[in-house]
Amino acid sequence: MLATFIAITLALSMPIGASADRDGFSDAVKLIEQFYHVKHQNIPLLARAGMKAVKTAAKIRGGEYKKLAEAGSVRVAFFEEQTFDSRGQIASFKSAVQNLLASPWSALVQTLAPKSEEQTYVYVRDAGKNFHVLVITIERREATVIQATVAPQILAELLKNPDGMGKALTDEATTSDP
Amino acid sequence: MRILFRNILKFAPALLFVVTAHVVTTGQTAKLQLDQLDVLANRASETVDVKLDEHLMQMTAKFFSGKDTDDAEIRDLLKNLKGIYVKSFTFEKENEYSPAEVDSVISQLRGGGWSKIVGVTSKKNGDNVDVYLLTIADQIAGLAVVSAEPKEFTVVNIVGPINLEKLSELEGSFGVPLLNLPPPKPKTAK
Repeated sequence: MLATFIAITLALSMPIGASADRDGFSDAVKLIEQFYHVKHQNIPLLARAGMKAVKTAAKIRGGEYKKLAEAGSVRVAFFEEQTFDSRGQIASFKSAVQNLLASPWSALVQTLAPKSEEQTYVYVRDAGKNFHVLVITIERREATVIQATVAPQILAELLKNPDGMGKALTDEATTSDP
Repeated sequence: MRILFRNILKFAPALLFVVTAHVVTTGQTAKLQLDQLDVLANRASETVDVKLDEHLMQMTAKFFSGKDTDDAEIRDLLKNLKGIYVKSFTFEKENEYSPAEVDSVISQLRGGGWSKIVGVTSKKNGDNVDVYLLTIADQIAGLAVVSAEPKEFTVVNIVGPINLEKLSELEGSFGVPLLNLPPPKPKTAK
């Protein structure tokens, strides 16, 4: 009886979903597709050249451009020229993201502007000595999902301005280096 | 002895539950429950929700180099904190959030070691900013700022040892907004 009790107690004390190593990137892409009835595009790296001109990453502390993501670690999914209309249910989408990206991901920043349909979600999880950062950016006509591996030194810099963190990573991932 | 052991086993689950519940509740008193405010996101023109938990802060705090004075101060500050939580809602019109929603936060700050240390009320602008400090066994264990303006409602909850002076160091970074609090009283010279 005691053994059963201990087993149940241990099972209950474990975080839900801790055993499942979920792929937050794919899950987030699917959630956007289902909620907004849109389809994503995987755009090859070379095709991304010049898509975005502004490098917010350059504005992080120190003023000079610093590489944020570890080489070869970036995954990107675009949703372009499609309509993102929450129909007044933007908080429901936020809840859906929260439920989807429960443990082992931790919500870091979430910003919502229902009128303009602008949303940013930044989630973080451990990746050995580094961190995986998942950024979901949604606007009225486009959305981006980025997953990148970031060194703790860079994450420390980005944490100083969590609001700008999602934009910095998205800009870097969607802009080819000159 | 055997009967005593049997009785202990019989009550072990209840005992374990009580002990666990006590540990959980006492460990989380400084962290406010703010999820009930999420419904405001549908009414707000802009919502910002920042959560920096202890694990994340401990993992990154050591990477603030001690060469820069600001960084060294931030590192020392962060390494003792257990969390920074910010929820801020901006509205297009006045009265889009209710006193009940403000009270859902304030009610957690009544008693239980929390005391209001700053209260700023502006009749002209309708702004109300209150700062609360949680003290447990003479140690500061947390801080909460509740800012209720006609078109903006912000709650900042910092878990861990922090005071007004240190809070001002965090303003404008780590998701903590500029709070425009009155400057802390200067320390008297010894």
